[in-house]
Amino acid sequence: MSVQTEGTDTAGEPAVRKARVPAPPRGDSRSTGAPSRRRAATPYLLLLPALLATVVLLGWPLVKNGMLSFQNLNPRQLIQHLTEWNGVDNYREVLSGGDFWHVVERSVVFTAVNVVLIMTIGTLVGLLLARLGRKMRLLLLVGLVLAWAMPVIAATTVYQWLFAQRFGVVNWVLDKLGWHSMADHNWLETQFSTFAVVTLLIVWQSIPFVAINLYAATTTIPRELYEAASLDGAGAWKGFTSVTLPFLRPFLYATTFLEVIWVFKAFAQIFAMNQGGPDHLTETLPIYAYVEGVGNQHFGLGAAISFLTILVLLAITSYYLRMVLKQEEDEL
Amino acid sequence: MKRKLAAAIVIAGMMVSVSACGGDDDDSGKNAGPDSFKGQTLTVWAMDGSTPDQWVKDVTAAFEKKTGAKLKFETQKWDGIQQKITTALSESTPPDVLEVGNTQTPAYAATGGLADLGDLKEEIGADWTPSVSQSSVYDGKQYAAPWYFTSRVVIYNKKIWAKAGIKDTPKTRDEFFKDLETIGKKTDAEPIYLPGQNWYFFDGLTIGQGADLVKKQGDKYVSNLGDPKVAKAMEIYKKYQSYSKAPKGKDEATPQQAEVFAKGKTGAFIGMGWEAGTAVTANKAIEKDLGYFPIPGETAAKPESVFLGGSNLAVAQGSKKQALAKEFLKIALSDQYEGELAKLNGVIPNKKSLETNLKGNVVAEAIAPGAAVGGTTPLIPEWGAVENTPNPIKSYMTAVLNGKSPADAAQQVENEINKRLAQQN
Repeated sequence: MSVQTEGTDTAGEPAVRKARVPAPPRGDSRSTGAPSRRRAATPYLLLLPALLATVVLLGWPLVKNGMLSFQNLNPRQLIQHLTEWNGVDNYREVLSGGDFWHVVERSVVFTAVNVVLIMTIGTLVGLLLARLGRKMRLLLLVGLVLAWAMPVIAATTVYQWLFAQRFGVVNWVLDKLGWHSMADHNWLETQFSTFAVVTLLIVWQSIPFVAINLYAATTTIPRELYEAASLDGAGAWKGFTSVTLPFLRPFLYATTFLEVIWVFKAFAQIFAMNQGGPDHLTETLPIYAYVEGVGNQHFGLGAAISFLTILVLLAITSYYLRMVLKQEEDEL
Repeated sequence: MKRKLAAAIVIAGMMVSVSACGGDDDDSGKNAGPDSFKGQTLTVWAMDGSTPDQWVKDVTAAFEKKTGAKLKFETQKWDGIQQKITTALSESTPPDVLEVGNTQTPAYAATGGLADLGDLKEEIGADWTPSVSQSSVYDGKQYAAPWYFTSRVVIYNKKIWAKAGIKDTPKTRDEFFKDLETIGKKTDAEPIYLPGQNWYFFDGLTIGQGADLVKKQGDKYVSNLGDPKVAKAMEIYKKYQSYSKAPKGKDEATPQQAEVFAKGKTGAFIGMGWEAGTAVTANKAIEKDLGYFPIPGETAAKPESVFLGGSNLAVAQGSKKQALAKEFLKIALSDQYEGELAKLNGVIPNKKSLETNLKGNVVAEAIAPGAAVGGTTPLIPEWGAVENTPNPIKSYMTAVLNGKSPADAAQQVENEINKRLAQQN
């Protein structure tokens, strides 16, 4: 097994773990004196550009944002470049209002529904890709890549047009099919219906990533294992659960983790669709931060909300993070 | 003694001339003569629809001839404009001149982002119509120059009205409703296009009922949507809206109502004069069918009150070209070009004497009766925040149109409005 998966680091994880153990490169270089100390520094030097970019592009704005969250910053302060510290007032205001917790709840449910749909359909499409013949697979792959490559705002605009009340294709088709009451249906009228359209858009946008990833993962599964399984009398389902799934598990974890982050921070799709409406009912945390901060020009308050958003996201992804950290520990 | 005096005079003279130089430097520096503006570019932010092409061309030519500097117009959309202006004013190189909506001007004046135009007012503003100039005065200072104002009228499709057999334009609200009903019955057109969130029209209706959207409670302003008079205005809006298939959750700009109207399947819409131009741009064939009339009121004697939308021109406090910006204002607001704008756009100019430009203008003639009984939202700095997206007034309207009682809908958005009104600048 280790022979087959060598070189494909991320593929068959159990095998890789075994392969890595015997040769820790840092270990022996550390023991052999001065010249090797320079070699020990090399990895850090190589890390430097990436670290620097992260600090400049992510770290600094984060620090700035943190500072803003402790300020009373409204148009007057912004225009006149005044700095008015107000301690934890912003946080107190956000956390003591009921709005914030409603939005947190809504964001979590929204993320959960989307991720479950994305992972289920994405995995099925991925498995389908593995089974298809060459031509059909190519066709499906091209379709997936095109959907994946579509810029977010362009995709959102297309969906807005599809579901437009008066001139939308969806209403037109439903009307033509005989469902006449849908001819002027307003899809963005209620919270549920708006979320349904947004969910459809987000799921459609994310399936390609999951599907292609999982298809790639299945290509690393050695055929012999299926042969062995079928010799042992395993059916299709048994083969899936005891051969395919164990191989896919690390992929599923990683992709789910990424999708949670991606859906949770989805902004353009929801905001461009209906500005968090009707009546603030489709505001998720990123939208809430934007509407309160930039929209209402309460920049300090917005910064506080965005900070809390990061905390909530960390809490949601903590399970996976713990798993990764534990795995690292196991390896050491 | 004499020598001393002479010396003193010389010294005094030197000091005066030095301070005079200093004064020049502070004030306009090297911008004293027309030639010194050469090579500079003045950026003007104008709102969508405010500046007709011909006017831009003429003003630019006059400006460049007089100052030798370049003029750059940048068109902005109303939606989300406040955030954009706030950010722009905070930058080190803001746009030099900005068009600011009348109801939003006090809020910007309060932020300190607009330059004091007191001297300009003295120079060219002696006969600005006081009611129009009022929105740009804050704390006794002139923070912007009044530019124009206008209001909404009914723009209708004569062909469709003729097809429905209607001969005359309505004089009362009930007649108007009857006409809309006739159009609905006798033609396959949509009688009127009115989305659920045309809140400017709604504001006019509340003024017509003698109510305001906010009221003073103690020393602060709070929502007045719970007022039965506001509810009455909303019921009128609802009745209008019942003749339309337009989305209840959208405003008149999404989609642009004039472009919907341009398709020729809509009897009428309530819009600004320049929106007729938008319709014609979208469909040339509609031009000959366009007609205008004031929004009819309760009785034939008094037309419906309208929201007096207007715009002011302000100079950014942070602009380094204040002198040049004022040169621009002097040209743009001169009788010649202010008059031209009134003529081209059918808007009401900032001086009574220029209103002769509106003679024979069908749009302006439809505007005038309503404007006489029109009004604005309260001209207080706190108001600006209420208009921020998502505008709670719009949420209120959609809620009522979707079947909530006006009182319940008012209660639903009250907190949001009060929160915004209490927001410090």
